[in-house]
Amino acid sequence: MMRRTAIALFIAAAVFAGGRLIAAQAQSAAHTPAAGLPDWSGIWAMQGPTVFDRASVQPQNGRAGDAGVREFPPYTDEWEARYKKNIELIKEGRFPDPITTCGTPHGFPRVMNLPDVYEFAVTPQATYILTENGPNIIRVYTDGRKHPAPEDRWPTYSGASVGRWEGDTLVFETVSAKGSSDNDVIVDRTGMILSSDARFVTRLRKVNDMAMEAQMVIEDPKALKAPWKITKQYRKLPAGTWAWDYGCAENNRNPVSGSGKTLTLGPDGKPIDKKVD
Amino acid sequence: MKALKFSVAAILFAACALVVTPPAAAHHSGAMFDDAKVVELKGTIKEMQWKNPHVWIQVVVDQDGKATEWSLEAGSPNSLSRNGWRSTTFKAGDEVVVRLNPMKDGTAAGMFIGAKFAADGKTIGRWQ
Repeated sequence: MMRRTAIALFIAAAVFAGGRLIAAQAQSAAHTPAAGLPDWSGIWAMQGPTVFDRASVQPQNGRAGDAGVREFPPYTDEWEARYKKNIELIKEGRFPDPITTCGTPHGFPRVMNLPDVYEFAVTPQATYILTENGPNIIRVYTDGRKHPAPEDRWPTYSGASVGRWEGDTLVFETVSAKGSSDNDVIVDRTGMILSSDARFVTRLRKVNDMAMEAQMVIEDPKALKAPWKITKQYRKLPAGTWAWDYGCAENNRNPVSGSGKTLTLGPDGKPIDKKVD
Repeated sequence: MKALKFSVAAILFAACALVVTPPAAAHHSGAMFDDAKVVELKGTIKEMQWKNPHVWIQVVVDQDGKATEWSLEAGSPNSLSRNGWRSTTFKAGDEVVVRLNPMKDGTAAGMFIGAKFAADGKTIGRWQ
């Protein structure tokens, strides 16, 4: 009897120890980047306001969405005219953000320019850029594949991204990102837009333990006369910071009217604006 | 701005760059808010809706003897929770003074800036 009890205790101890070992290994794996790949773990927040091209914004420190604020991408005359038209709509309060319709992704490249937080999941086959404010997932395949042939792809919000590692820098090219047709995708709230023919080369790297940087070169044969260079920076938030679910439709009290005006609903779900059109 | 002539403690501040600070990141255009104005109201919390995409704070204010419910929009619970807010930060019955950027059309609503609780004098949000 005593011998059977001793054997049972031994087995229980072994199982317990094994479980702890497995748990420890799992925890270790969670904090260890894949061999040869950089550690981009943690929660990150973009630095600064959501003006996409802060180097050219006028007035300086202008906020995206405020009347009269604009940037200066190297637009063709046609797309400069489209941008100016959007700027006028903003002045009239009739330039709704497409994401106000909950469930609409921000699209590329706007996805690199969001409030709230980011996570970067690095695996040998792909790197995933996850944004809390969304829904957005950018999949950057690094398994050696090429972009789909033109006949096998179509414009999507996130586009198609393939990349490679140059040291600790992820270099990826994005094509087939859905451009604007009637302002259904925007670059930022100043009214900037691009076409579905745009190509983006992004160099994403960790500058130091607390900072990441994305350098982007944008070429768009329809909208731009020259390559457009943008740099976005991200800072690491304290260890243990959480990213959360972002269910925009949970309580959206700001629908858009037929005329493009963003409305405000009261707690009863009815518009409280003085004028609804 | 007749709606802002309150009998209790509604004060319309003159536009002041030092007071006005950028609103919380919103998932929609902020064109409806007048961020050049700051309104201060004394009232009672009716409800806080702690939901995405925006937290809403419902405050009942005595305006010329009439109870008026104001809707104050704040950031997402996600971002606010990372800045010290909790789903219980505002409770029904709390007596508060709140500051907001009002809607341009005079609707009893605005973008939340900050609040001070009457019970203990604690503040939350931007309150200089």
